[in-house]
Amino acid sequence: MSRFVDPLVVGRVIGEVVDLFVPSVAMAVSYGAKDVSNGCHVKPSMAADQPLVRISGRRNDLYTLLMTDPDAPSPSDPNMREYLHWIVMNIPGGTDATKGDVVMPYLGPQPPVGIHRYVLVLFQQKSRIVDGYAAPPADRPYFNTRAFAFNHELGLPVAVVYFNSQREPSGNRRRR
Amino acid sequence: MAAFASTSPSPAISASTWRMESLRAALPALRTSPSAAIGAGLRPRKQAVRLGASASPFLRSSFVSTSSASSSASPSSISSAVSASLAFSYTSSFSVESSFEHRLFGTDVHGRILAMRHGKRIPRLGRPADQRKALLRGLTTQLLKHGRIKTTKPRAKAMRKWVDKMITLAKDGSLHKRRQALGYIYEKHIVHALFAEVPDRYGERPGGYTRIIPTFPRRGDNAPMAYIELV
Repeated sequence: MSRFVDPLVVGRVIGEVVDLFVPSVAMAVSYGAKDVSNGCHVKPSMAADQPLVRISGRRNDLYTLLMTDPDAPSPSDPNMREYLHWIVMNIPGGTDATKGDVVMPYLGPQPPVGIHRYVLVLFQQKSRIVDGYAAPPADRPYFNTRAFAFNHELGLPVAVVYFNSQREPSGNRRRR
Repeated sequence: MAAFASTSPSPAISASTWRMESLRAALPALRTSPSAAIGAGLRPRKQAVRLGASASPFLRSSFVSTSSASSSASPSSISSAVSASLAFSYTSSFSVESSFEHRLFGTDVHGRILAMRHGKRIPRLGRPADQRKALLRGLTTQLLKHGRIKTTKPRAKAMRKWVDKMITLAKDGSLHKRRQALGYIYEKHIVHALFAEVPDRYGERPGGYTRIIPTFPRRGDNAPMAYIELV
């Protein structure tokens, strides 16, 4: 195709999780040695620990990062859309996710059926969100990124990346 | 006729004056009578099917010359039909090759003979027809079960038609369509789940129920891979 189509649009991340936005902050996500690019495949065993998320931006700005799975429990029947995996707030610009406040601890991908997309969304905060105001969502399934952004006045995201993950087959299976 | 000229034993007879009667006497007897041959001349499609059934190298040159003559001439001309039927009846006396072997000539809708693949849009996927059907059945079953699968790009593109067909059957929802779907998809609980949820999910969508997203090539053989998913 001569025209470049954004991989986020092709993978329907824009549309199902977030709305069309203009990326303004550079975000680099890596699980150990593997860097995450849009649509790459990461094994759940490699993604069990939280990734290293480096963001650009000015030191005064604060950012919110969240990770969801829009294909829970199965891509053909995503009735638990979305499944929340991670929320970190008050990340200073130019640093990484460990410098922020963890609102929902990290949970690695555990796709039961099919190939799931895991979306990492970065928002820019208008001001520091105090712990009392940042009410963590009650439960992980049935999360809605747009509603969360609306409730905390986060606006459109500034950076989005997604990767695919699939349940690893158990080791005893005989391979032809 | 050139083949017979090259194998002519007697040098006394000149190669340029072969007579039709001596030729007919030398070769095995015709199965079709001339009246039936004329009737066959008015049905060019049936002739072409018999021609494609076998290909003996011994008479290949005569096939090409007579078939080109018959396809270019109008079907109503009797002489070309008779000569064409002679060649076709020769083919009928030879055995038909098995369906797995490569046919020398295919035919198009009008009964013309084609040696090339021009305009044929079926993806062959490097397999004979029964294995191809089984592969596509398995892939559509897995896609309907998992919702998103990763496979090679040509297979994903070939699958689209069958997945759309299955979803169209489920949209109709009648018993006959359900049984047709059960005859194609390998697992029956998937068919029942499909018929239950398709009207809600794809009720308004007029076709195009799948999406193909290319991805990185496979490491072992650099095959272009793609995700195919239900929209």
